Amino acid sequence: MTKQWTLKKRLEAIGHGFFYLTMHFLGQLGAYVLLVPVVTVYVLFGRGIHRATAPYLSRRFPAHGRVDRWFDTLRNIISFGQVLVDRGWLGMKAGSLEGEFDGYDRLLDLIKQGKGVVLLTAHVGNWQSALAKLDNLPARVHALMKYDQAAVAKHYFDLDERRSGPPFEIINIDGPFGGMIEATAALQRGEVVTIMGDRLTKGSSVTVDFLGSPMRFPDTAYALASMVDAPVVVVLAAKTGRKTYKLRIWDVFTPGFEDRSKRGEMLTAHAKKFAEILEKYLRQYPYQWYNFFDFWRQ
Amino acid sequence: MDELKQQLKEMLVNEMKIQGMTPADIKDDEPLFGDGLGLDSLDAVELVVLVNKHFSVQIADMEQGKEAFVNINSLAQFIEKNKA
Repeated sequence: MTKQWTLKKRLEAIGHGFFYLTMHFLGQLGAYVLLVPVVTVYVLFGRGIHRATAPYLSRRFPAHGRVDRWFDTLRNIISFGQVLVDRGWLGMKAGSLEGEFDGYDRLLDLIKQGKGVVLLTAHVGNWQSALAKLDNLPARVHALMKYDQAAVAKHYFDLDERRSGPPFEIINIDGPFGGMIEATAALQRGEVVTIMGDRLTKGSSVTVDFLGSPMRFPDTAYALASMVDAPVVVVLAAKTGRKTYKLRIWDVFTPGFEDRSKRGEMLTAHAKKFAEILEKYLRQYPYQWYNFFDFWRQ
Repeated sequence: MDELKQQLKEMLVNEMKIQGMTPADIKDDEPLFGDGLGLDSLDAVELVVLVNKHFSVQIADMEQGKEAFVNINSLAQFIEKNKA
């Protein structure tokens, strides 16, 4: 690890510690208030943050000039900061956020069919806090993800001392088959596998248009579902108020293909469908997109 | 064991539709993934499903996958060992 990286990690840890301390004494609202000047200074003087938000914001608001873009960045980062505060707050005070799940009964019915369910979601809204809602499902829930236990920005379930672990079993994507074997086995047992469909970290992908430019999307969710004949349920979370969030089922489909030569076509068609759902979501919640790097150049 | 290997080769060619190959083209010690037959992680999913469907053997995790998915020899051995 380089000295610069170590310093960055330490500064990050100090920043997080400061916010946790504020939350401890002043609650969630206190941390929200603290967030505004911190983010404003960051957005005023940090050039990196504008570079990080520009790929998305310039596509979402193509007509916005420099001043509007500055405010877009401010709103985007404050929104992101509030989600991080919520995550810590939920870890400290479980049940302190009220969640609504639009389509929960439909999800229960799909689980009851016993074919397994691929829960496809994205890094939007307060997705991590919303995952707590999966606690009560009548099937084991797995998350196919890269899990960094050493990360400074802890998952809420790492912070909650009453928990013995996350509300789901993590299938780590590091490894020769990217966790696909474990995920397949789980679906075959009729269980639920949650996959992030927006961020390509590893594995297979297809390129489809997203907000007007081609972007690579992971396609493992559609491949997995098609092999075991499981439904894909697109669930996205949105923060709807200081203490409220909403999970909504945006679509349900069962991918399939006749033979190997048609597989690529099928994967692209479903990734396109998912990209269109994300665009629809972002029309409703434009500042709840939290992928701060240039996806389109991946 | 030879019969099982032949079944596996036919399964690969007929059901996974590996292009331009016949069962006779697949060598017992030819790597299934990467160089060799060129299967990828998405194919691993299909292989897990097919092995379960045809031989009622579950490949449940990466360790078992690493053991089974080396080549036709290793896959046949894994199925023999784990058949009910």
